[in-house]
Amino acid sequence: MSYFQRIKGIIIGALLLILAAIMFVYPKQSYYIVAAVLGLSLLVYGFRMLWFYFTMARNMVGGKTSLYQAIIVLDLALFTGSVTTMSNYIIIIYLLGVYAFSGFIEIARAVESKRFSSPNWKYKLINGLIMVFAAVALTVFGMVKGNLDLLVYGYAVSLVYTAIMRIVTSLRKTAIVYIQ
Amino acid sequence: MNSDFHYYATYCAAILAGYSHEESADLAYCDRFVDLCSKTMLFKLKGPAAAATTQFPVELVEARTDISGLQDITRIWSSFHFLPHDLYAEPPHKRCSKRYKSKYRLICNPNGELVKETVKIAKGKGIQAAGVAMHVLADTWAHRYFAGTPSLVINNPYKEYKELIPGEDGITERKISFRHSATSPDDLDRSIYTNSLYSNSETSIMNLGHGRAGHLPDYSFIRYKYLPAWGNYEEILKDNPSDYRHAFCQMITAMKYLRGETAEFELNTYDWDAISEIEDKIDEIICKRQLRSADDWKALGEQLSGHALEDFDIEKYQEEYTSAAKDKKDDTFLGKFIIAALAQKSMVTNKIYESGSKLAGKSIDYSKKGFGGMKAYEKLVKEVGE
Repeated sequence: MSYFQRIKGIIIGALLLILAAIMFVYPKQSYYIVAAVLGLSLLVYGFRMLWFYFTMARNMVGGKTSLYQAIIVLDLALFTGSVTTMSNYIIIIYLLGVYAFSGFIEIARAVESKRFSSPNWKYKLINGLIMVFAAVALTVFGMVKGNLDLLVYGYAVSLVYTAIMRIVTSLRKTAIVYIQ
Repeated sequence: MNSDFHYYATYCAAILAGYSHEESADLAYCDRFVDLCSKTMLFKLKGPAAAATTQFPVELVEARTDISGLQDITRIWSSFHFLPHDLYAEPPHKRCSKRYKSKYRLICNPNGELVKETVKIAKGKGIQAAGVAMHVLADTWAHRYFAGTPSLVINNPYKEYKELIPGEDGITERKISFRHSATSPDDLDRSIYTNSLYSNSETSIMNLGHGRAGHLPDYSFIRYKYLPAWGNYEEILKDNPSDYRHAFCQMITAMKYLRGETAEFELNTYDWDAISEIEDKIDEIICKRQLRSADDWKALGEQLSGHALEDFDIEKYQEEYTSAAKDKKDDTFLGKFIIAALAQKSMVTNKIYESGSKLAGKSIDYSKKGFGGMKAYEKLVKEVGE
């Protein structure tokens, strides 16, 4: 991980901490902001991927995958935007769903890393499992209790966890396989 | 190409080209040193960082991938390890962006105009320049089809690789598996090789050169098929034994030119006659399935020269350089290597810039604009002026 990638990771971690703090202070309104930030981030990322496809990946073997990924991300961005108009419960359940999905992605990456004998697969697996477990547990617990604030606080704690993991990853010593 | 070829095989080729034992050993030393002269090494020697000819993995991990960081990476890897074949090549695709085209044009292949220029600028510049040129020339064969700049769309080959294994019943195909373990050696018996991690970022360091193909280009014995990212879905058969044989004989041709035995260095010319009596031996070494071929090349070299060849010692010339007075450093062995490296990097950067690409940075006319932030190149101009 380069110096700039580390800085970027720390800044993203700090922004997530700020979002979590806002959720703790304003639990009734803050998830609109979180959903909007998520939607906007996905929109920017989707357009970046689309731009990369049309300028570069279009000429690459297997480059169509970039196009499909861009379309899926943009679709998800629009969906996230539309979710903000729905009821409070749906928004927070959706955010937890996205969080669980990120956990599944992390687990899939861990499986792939293990297949390629990469040493950090355990770290990824534990991280992914914690994310999925937290999302499922919060959803079930919040719905049983029927307490929306509980879900919001739980989600805020999950954001703090993600932020800390981001910062820790940015500060860790990285060992990579580089072919010279 | 691997370190065994860059040192021991180069020694053999130099002997066959007519160099003495001492000259051949020094020339081979410089060829091998190109893979070791990083900024870290130059920092230790208190030499100019601009003369770096490689980057160690630890440097690459921390390398910046902003514009100037990428230009630095491209200058080093395109100049010394992935010499572009044709800076004006047109990609096979009908429409493509200027950015794509500039990366496509950095694809390395042998017998390009730049390799001719590389050999030409080494003429009359001593053993060190010849060693640098031989490294660059040899790598145009081993590293062909990859570019010396981080690029997903050029260097990330399609995942299906098949190794062609010759046997008594003809050639059999075996699927190649990759892993990312730095500690496990490549498993030749099961075709399991280490490669760099997949990254979907265009400028990730993982997508530099042949990282995604692992060490396959560095093994002389291997033949394999794969789909390169840039190739419009056309499969490539990489025949390393043939490429290494060509590299060896082209090196002899080039070194005969550098020694003044021939008047011109022509592309696509290979001194097959020079190896006619030892052809079987060379083929045997090249085709032997082994991770290290140093012992075999060394034995052949000693047989050819009649002298014992010492193993490569990275420290050999360092004391001479570090203890020399500031105004005498350029006269030392490593001082001359540094000047040869600067000349090569300067030439390739200039050619890339002239082709309209800024991937390797700007190339300025020092006589009009001075040296700016490139003081290290002043010594190169002095050398040329002498």
